[in-house]
Amino acid sequence: MSELERLQASCLYEIANCDSLKKLDMLKSAVFGKNGKITEIMKKLRDMDGDEKRQLGAAINSLKDEIMEKLDEKFYELEMQELDKKLASEFVDVGMPSRPNCFGKIHPITKVEEEVAHIFSSYGFAFADGPDVESEYFNFTALNMPDHHPAKTMHDTFYVHKLADENGRKLLRTHTSPVQIYAMRANEPPLRCFSIGRVYRSDYDATHTPMFTQVEGVVLEKNIGFSHLKWLLSDFVKKFFEVKTVQMRFRPSFFPFTEPSAEIDINYEMRDGKIIFGVGDRWLEIAGGGAVHPNVLKYGKVDGEKYQGLAFGFGIERLASLKYGIPDLRGYFESNERWINAFGFSHATR
Amino acid sequence: MRFSFNWLKRRLSTDLNIQQIADKLTSIGLEVESVENPALIFKNFKLVRIKKATKHPDADNLQICVVEDVDGNEANIVCGAKNARAGLKTILAMPGAVIPSSKMVIKKSKIRGVVSEGMMCSHEELAISSQEDGIVEINKDTDLSTPIDEILGYDVGILEVSITPNRGDCLSINGIARDLAAAGAGKFLQLEKTSCDSSFKFPININYENSDSCFRYAPVIAFQVIRGVRNGESPQWLKSAIRSAGLNSISMLVDLSNFWMIDSGRPTHIYDLSKIQGDVQIRFAKSREIFEDVRGNEHRLLPDMLVAADRESPLCLLGIMGGKKTACDENTTDVLLESGLFDPIFISKTGTLLNLTSDSRTRFERGIDRDSCISGLGGITKLIVENCGGEVSDILVVGTQPSNEQKIILKKSKLDCVSGCDNDWNEAKYFLKQIGVNEIRSGEFESTFSVPSWRSDLKIEEDLIEEVLRLKGYDNIPSKSLDIITAGRDRVLDKKNQILGIKRILASRGLSEVITYSFTKQNYAEAFKENRKLINLINPISVDLSVMRPSLIPTLLNNVVAALSYGQTNIGVCESGNVFYDSCQQELQISGVRLGNIHDRNWLEKTRSVDVFDVKGDILAALDYCKIDEKTISIVNSAPSYYHPSRSGAILSGKKELGYFGELHPKIKKLFGITEKTVCFEIFSSLLPLLNSKTLYFSGKVFPKITRDFAFLFSSKTSIGSLVNAIYRLDPIIKKVNIFDCFDLNVTLKSIGVSITLEAADRTLTEEEAQNVSEKIIKYVRSIGGELRNK
Repeated sequence: MSELERLQASCLYEIANCDSLKKLDMLKSAVFGKNGKITEIMKKLRDMDGDEKRQLGAAINSLKDEIMEKLDEKFYELEMQELDKKLASEFVDVGMPSRPNCFGKIHPITKVEEEVAHIFSSYGFAFADGPDVESEYFNFTALNMPDHHPAKTMHDTFYVHKLADENGRKLLRTHTSPVQIYAMRANEPPLRCFSIGRVYRSDYDATHTPMFTQVEGVVLEKNIGFSHLKWLLSDFVKKFFEVKTVQMRFRPSFFPFTEPSAEIDINYEMRDGKIIFGVGDRWLEIAGGGAVHPNVLKYGKVDGEKYQGLAFGFGIERLASLKYGIPDLRGYFESNERWINAFGFSHATR
Repeated sequence: MRFSFNWLKRRLSTDLNIQQIADKLTSIGLEVESVENPALIFKNFKLVRIKKATKHPDADNLQICVVEDVDGNEANIVCGAKNARAGLKTILAMPGAVIPSSKMVIKKSKIRGVVSEGMMCSHEELAISSQEDGIVEINKDTDLSTPIDEILGYDVGILEVSITPNRGDCLSINGIARDLAAAGAGKFLQLEKTSCDSSFKFPININYENSDSCFRYAPVIAFQVIRGVRNGESPQWLKSAIRSAGLNSISMLVDLSNFWMIDSGRPTHIYDLSKIQGDVQIRFAKSREIFEDVRGNEHRLLPDMLVAADRESPLCLLGIMGGKKTACDENTTDVLLESGLFDPIFISKTGTLLNLTSDSRTRFERGIDRDSCISGLGGITKLIVENCGGEVSDILVVGTQPSNEQKIILKKSKLDCVSGCDNDWNEAKYFLKQIGVNEIRSGEFESTFSVPSWRSDLKIEEDLIEEVLRLKGYDNIPSKSLDIITAGRDRVLDKKNQILGIKRILASRGLSEVITYSFTKQNYAEAFKENRKLINLINPISVDLSVMRPSLIPTLLNNVVAALSYGQTNIGVCESGNVFYDSCQQELQISGVRLGNIHDRNWLEKTRSVDVFDVKGDILAALDYCKIDEKTISIVNSAPSYYHPSRSGAILSGKKELGYFGELHPKIKKLFGITEKTVCFEIFSSLLPLLNSKTLYFSGKVFPKITRDFAFLFSSKTSIGSLVNAIYRLDPIIKKVNIFDCFDLNVTLKSIGVSITLEAADRTLTEEEAQNVSEKIIKYVRSIGGELRNK
């Protein structure tokens, strides 16, 4: 066995049996270091020449490569072993709870307002706004409800103390309809606009709260009539409730500001205490509307000979209750933690 | 409007059943609120005769009765009533019957060992008010086949119809029948105009106050006297009709007047003639004159209220309610009948001022048949004479019948335009004719119509169009889509969405959105009004909801207090809504309240209670959402008095206040009964700028940042709140200023750690530039009394 062969055998044996990175490092220097075994043999080359030198040189190089490769393999193996050991010692019980999320909820009325606004925007309706503290003129007179009109008594109005101006006594608006007048006065027809807001009536029992939310819409265009209102409202209902078909019933009714007037019912069925829309033969009132009364057009400074008007309104709480199965009207305004957790929406829901 | 199906059938010949009629009524705009069928209530009840009554062998108080029905079927009934005796006709509840008062279901049972196949009922058990004890005693002549509901005075099938304020004519069976017939539900059996032959001259003087306004409010009144009537208990048919209408039977005269009003829609008033002292005067009330109405309530009248009076006092508030003084009773023999026409607005004003409602007021307010003064008088007179006897005087008419017949032109083009579809012109005219609207001048697709005296609500072309469409059926109008248009930018909606976005941000920070009432308690509002005026309600629902809130905080605190009472400990709520002050100033604000710990206890980190920097963070997160740069705002210690004076601030953008935040003042916490530390904020939404896409710009190039940290020493008393913004202003390359450390070094000095990030948009900064900026900062700090801390 040549010297090289012995060196090869002993190195490979030692590498294979090495059990720590430290020892392997020492081993490496013992072979390749300044006074290492390979270095020692290399020194012998200095005294040789010719073929002998070339042959030995090639043999040494090949041995160097082989040992180097084995060393690298062993280094990798030992590093991996070491890492595994370290990681095993870093145990964390991931079954433990994470840090608490603390998100609030969005109120269902806000959610429904957004849904309704989205649908009406898609029809090209612009949003309009009006004040909660309104004058008698805009809340009643301009909507064709003169003093002592019997319909005024149906409204159970809250009046405001010691406030009056040229538009009469101040009150809390009983409906969002005054916005119709503002919109008509501020815009040239054709006009499509809607409003959503709080309204107030002096009524407080299981099915009434003194404050609630209405959505109101008005369209002023040439050549539009009742049949367009039928389409608009039924299309809205389908989109809002996300149903393909819905039967709607348009019933003649009376509102001072529309003529003809209609109340709109949709069909439903009760299944296990839940309301299912678009099926069944029971009816539920969800909206009112009609053709804008010529007197209202006059108050809105609209040319009634040239333009037709359509107007309609919904109760937001009713829409919310029906769509999301929210039972008690009062819950909306008590909004306690359990209620809001049950019926509120994540801030990320759109 | 409540009435029985039977009553309706006296005015409408129809093959439809009660449910079909109900559906028809709803479809023509007379919305049926309920259909109830009393016949169903008395299912499993029958009329029986007690054949034999013997003592119970084991109970002294009980009898065993054998009863038989109309077909001779017998049943054994154990009964405890003392008046149970052979020969008595009474009402038996058979097994399966539900007792109206107790809702108990009758079963066949054994009582003290004897089988009982039902129960004989008392008045109380049948829910009939009566003084009588024991089981019901039915007149011995009554046929055993008579239905129970008829005997008890219930009319079969009750309809409750909601009449809209424009349809005064349908506050009568007559009007409802007419409308149903027009819609094809049957044949209208119109009330015949009747009158009685008079046998004597009208015997008393009626003086009309000679005043124009008197005639304006009461253009015409007709009077008649009947002598020798017998008042008393109403006959069965009248009682049941009256009860079906939801009224109580009082006496024959009163019941007849009510019956006539409901049947024809014509209110009349009956005075007991013997109680009138001297002549009757139709006059305006004297100021503060007292009137005692028939219900016994006293009213202080005002000078513009119209009364019928004798020489002593007012007898009747015309068109609204009769007085107690001349009310009819069982001794009444001579009566004065009054049938007038009163101005709707005048009636409404008087009724509203006195807060007095009546069936009569409701009808006059909504408009009754203008031509019904005399025919109405004829109708009630005939009813009285037929039922109570008596002799009739001449009719006295005071005033003049107005003859302003309403004429309306209807064009087919307008009809088609409003309905949005093509209509059959002849069919339209046919519908109008059915409700008494007659064509008086005909043109091609344009006619003039006359409005009947009972439809004062029909005034303009659109009113006729509604009538046509209503009778045609709204369901028969086709549906047509609107043209789709795309609107431009909607800044008002953008604003609404901005508020929504802020609420989403706040929800992501742990605040739940609530909606509270816009009104609150006086003392709560007072505590938040500052130097503004509060807006009070004249007629609040309760004192707790009587003032418009000048801030969202008080109503949010109400919510918080409720949450605390439910045992909730960590609370975070927010709301967007209007606040109100001064002369109906209103402002949209967003507010939030936090109380308790920032989050639930957990094993990873210690929780902490909320503090002023949580709510400051809430506002800044909202402002960041609105792209308001933190650099452009400043914070001053000038929050309103409901905040803790030294733990609160106002956020300014320039000189404008964008909001307040801070700890709640202890006096407010005390007012609401809150003991925990409470922090809150208010944002004034009107000052938040809407996002404008043009202002967003980024070159896309990035250059390296340079960071420098400083430790400065300041006197403990120096407020360093404005330091950050001041440093920003020193040089445009200062992109981020962050205070990362703050601690008291000793009693007089505090150490502030500030980290500065420098970055230019167009070049890599040099070390020299960074050094320059550092020196500027150190110089500035020195200028405000601070110094660089030596290591």
